Amino acid sequence: MGMNVRDALFTRPNAETRPPASGADALMTLDWISRSWGRGKRRWPVLRGVNLQIPAGAAVRVEGSNGAGKTTLLRIAAGILAPDAGTVTVDGLASDGNWREYHRRIGFLSAGDRGLYARFSVKGHLQYGARIAFLPRATRKQAVDEALVRFGLADLAQRRADRLSQGQRQRLRLALTVVHRPRVLLLDEPRNSLDVDGLAMLADAVADVLDAGGAALWCSPTGEEQPIEFDRTYVLRDATLEPS
Amino acid sequence: MSLVGQYLGAVAATVRRDAAIFVSYRLRIVSQALGMLLSLATFYYVAKLIKPGAVGPRDQYFAFAMVGILTTSILTSALTTVQIVRMELMAGNFERVLVSPMGPMWGVVAIAAFPIGYATVFACAMLGISAAVFGIPLHAGGLAPAFGVAVLGALSLASIGLLFVAGLLAFKSAMGATWVIAGLSLLGGAYFPVRLFPGWIRWTSDVQPFTPTVDLLRHLLVGTAAREAVWLELVKLAGFTVVLAPLALGAMRLALRVSRRRGTIMEY
Repeated sequence: MGMNVRDALFTRPNAETRPPASGADALMTLDWISRSWGRGKRRWPVLRGVNLQIPAGAAVRVEGSNGAGKTTLLRIAAGILAPDAGTVTVDGLASDGNWREYHRRIGFLSAGDRGLYARFSVKGHLQYGARIAFLPRATRKQAVDEALVRFGLADLAQRRADRLSQGQRQRLRLALTVVHRPRVLLLDEPRNSLDVDGLAMLADAVADVLDAGGAALWCSPTGEEQPIEFDRTYVLRDATLEPS
Repeated sequence: MSLVGQYLGAVAATVRRDAAIFVSYRLRIVSQALGMLLSLATFYYVAKLIKPGAVGPRDQYFAFAMVGILTTSILTSALTTVQIVRMELMAGNFERVLVSPMGPMWGVVAIAAFPIGYATVFACAMLGISAAVFGIPLHAGGLAPAFGVAVLGALSLASIGLLFVAGLLAFKSAMGATWVIAGLSLLGGAYFPVRLFPGWIRWTSDVQPFTPTVDLLRHLLVGTAAREAVWLELVKLAGFTVVLAPLALGAMRLALRVSRRRGTIMEY
């Protein structure tokens, strides 16, 4: 029985020989990604020939145990880590090509709670984030205001980041991830510290990106309950990506 | 908005961010100003021990040292950019720039902009204040060209700072900035004329941008005789900037490629 078009768009099996790159209809393509850590005899593979194609409008989850390589995969997808082999494209743009245009299209949330300036206000963070994302002046204010409202931060707009709770910090980090209206969301353990309302806000934000023809790649540990439904779920195990 | 406008806007946003964080430490400016005045006061009295005519007309040593000290503060801010980037890496804030369209190259330039710009403005303000407090007459006609020299010098010194940032990104090491600051200011004649050095080391004063910067500033602000023709020192300073800036940007580009491949770009 052959794969249907949607199945074919998401992934191809790992193979010994490199399959021809296709993915013409995929918004994001990870093509034959390999990456090892360490040097010499202490070198170990984290990703081996990973292929993933995510069409517009789709949310994909990658799960795996601690140390499986989820963060490595997301960092490669975000273009901040070079793979040993393989390519990543978003909208046909390579991650190691035009930095500006590639990163205009992605919104990256790292795991943990870092990336905020302690003595800088919530609104200041978002205005700064919108500016370094090259959001046009005409839409910048609206985008910042929308992000404040979307993540329940409007009343905290003038508050410094070091006066926020962990959950509020995570909301701000999420707001920074989407403030420039990216086409592809790359989310590394986005549930971190969020309460029920925060999870609903996160789910709404992802849904909005998907409705606008975007895509989401969501990485989280195996066994964690998720606030949204995914079109596909994969597990990263032994450096390879398999359907869950 | 044009592409250049977008990048400059992003740099301006970074400067605004750093300024907002800076003023949140309310006593910092007062503390810095007091520290600088105390340092200058020390030299004011030390200058009274210097034999007349050592660096020019009578009583000119204090003016000589004052300009040297204030120029050193700009040099220090340029070379401590590497410490700021290191702190950004440790706090995880550098990732904000890394995953943005602005990118890490412009991100580092933007991070350097506020401290160097602030140090330049601070040095100008302190120059005015200390001239008033210690009774040093400034050459009014030299103020505007001196500001231009300060900016050109800051750009040149910032390039040296960026070379250190490139080393930090590639090798995760920020060593050496402190002794380079001390070395450049010493060999550049921040505190005494370079002609006092023995001949075998004097050449080091001629191959770095601090020397023409401080020499031109002294000449324009307090009338100290320039070591060489003013136009020649200007050409030298511009030359250092023209050579060092692309060198620094090239080193940064290489360092980013290396750290992206090693996977250390977000870490320290």
